[in-house]
Amino acid sequence: MSNELKLNKGLAQMLKGGVIMDVVNAEQAKIAERAGACAVMALERIPADMRASGQVCRMSDPKLIKEIMEEVSIPVMAKCRIGHFVEAQILQAIGIDYIDESEVLTPADKKYHIEKTAFKIPFVCGAKNLGEALRRIQEGASMIRSKGEAGTGDISSAVGHLTLIKEQIAKVLQMNDEELQQFAKQERISVESLKELQANGGKLPVVNFAAGGVATPADAALCMQLGCDGVFVGSGIFKSKNPEKLATAIVNAVTHYNDPEKLLEYSTDLGELMFGVAIDQLKDNEKLSSRGW
Amino acid sequence: MTVKQYTVGVLSLQGAFKEHIDLFKLATESQHEKFHFLEVKTPQQLLRCDALVIPGGESTSMSLIAERTKMIQPLVDFIHSGKPLWGTCAGLIFLSREIVNGRPNQKALGAIDIQVKRNAFGRQLDSFESMLDFSGFIEAVDQFPAIFIRAPVISKVLPTEYNEEYITMKLVDDQSPIIRSENESVNKSKVELLYTLDNGLVVAARQGNVLVTSFHPELSDDCRFHRWFIQEFVAST
Repeated sequence: MSNELKLNKGLAQMLKGGVIMDVVNAEQAKIAERAGACAVMALERIPADMRASGQVCRMSDPKLIKEIMEEVSIPVMAKCRIGHFVEAQILQAIGIDYIDESEVLTPADKKYHIEKTAFKIPFVCGAKNLGEALRRIQEGASMIRSKGEAGTGDISSAVGHLTLIKEQIAKVLQMNDEELQQFAKQERISVESLKELQANGGKLPVVNFAAGGVATPADAALCMQLGCDGVFVGSGIFKSKNPEKLATAIVNAVTHYNDPEKLLEYSTDLGELMFGVAIDQLKDNEKLSSRGW
Repeated sequence: MTVKQYTVGVLSLQGAFKEHIDLFKLATESQHEKFHFLEVKTPQQLLRCDALVIPGGESTSMSLIAERTKMIQPLVDFIHSGKPLWGTCAGLIFLSREIVNGRPNQKALGAIDIQVKRNAFGRQLDSFESMLDFSGFIEAVDQFPAIFIRAPVISKVLPTEYNEEYITMKLVDDQSPIIRSENESVNKSKVELLYTLDNGLVVAARQGNVLVTSFHPELSDDCRFHRWFIQEFVAST
């Protein structure tokens, strides 16, 4: 393993058991840090507003990203468009801690993702299934997250991705050489990556977080109980009536995800939560998770 | 005859706690009846421990979660009991007496009489791995892969009855306020600086039963550091 990959995977390991929050200005970043976020994602608009805008969504203005970096001492992440390696170069030049090559922004390349091994900076990428996760890891991603429908407040697709990856890993563990060859071909991944997965007893080589649709402490704990390593929260926090209280409750819930008594306490009296959009109400072409190849 | 058993806890509020437990298990494979490793999230779990490790993670997150989940006082009590402690990276920050570049609501437990500077090397692009020679304090370990991720360093040994002030890093233009521990110093040993990088930055120290490292032995696949902690700090008690 290259030195950089080890360091970049290592930073993701430091984020484990933590919550990464979307913020759109320095003030929100401060609230997130005070609530105990282990990192923030610097954005111009939160996904719910991007979804509503119907416009092309791009990397945030570096000025905003820098302001947020100066405001907090925890790691700062930022998003670039799928395949837009120049946005990634710019983010690396800013000195950001992590890049999210994200389907929430409008994709720049309909065929390829960024060749992430060409960068020193770490990348997190979304994955709906095992093949997608391993393709991204093969390209150099040092962290994976689910691709739940961002900005909906509906947790069902994130849950779907986490469970599908688990089921597919279980299948891979049972596969013989011929089946491995076939699965690798079908998913456009190397057989070696599957053999490595088998040798590790089914443990993915990088950290896997839940993302997309997390709106409550219970949603966050659900993802943790399903086996993810930590949680991204996007629109849920700052679309609620009491962001600081909700942010704190979600952080606590990720630590004590297995303790129903404590989850009861964290879930109580949070005030009005974000509006929700049921994913079933979305047309297929409105689903962000279909972006990425 | 019954063998003495030890329970080593890893504070599991946030961060890379599973990695520590995995390496400890590897390091004690041949004596698994003797050592038991436990994820610690509650005061009750902490009471069962003979030693505690505070892992890497985000030091602000860890401190805030500890405070909210009422773990600060139990941790202070654990420190006062004199049982062995080891902090890596964020754990080093949490165990220190003073934190430079800390956040206003962050706590310093004060288990070791040092001042620490957070993110001393810079951001993620400045993270690095280096093969270091630890044979000065761990027998025969002259090549160890030390991984530094947004790492802190020990900037000062603080004056106590047992220690003279010793500044290891000049803090230039650092205007940020210093977080000081509210807890009294109870450590009656002298601070030993275990390892200094070529550029003069101090990245490992011990004070009696308390060990701190700004790098992450738990991220390597080399369990010799963990084995040393068990032999030198835990099983020697």
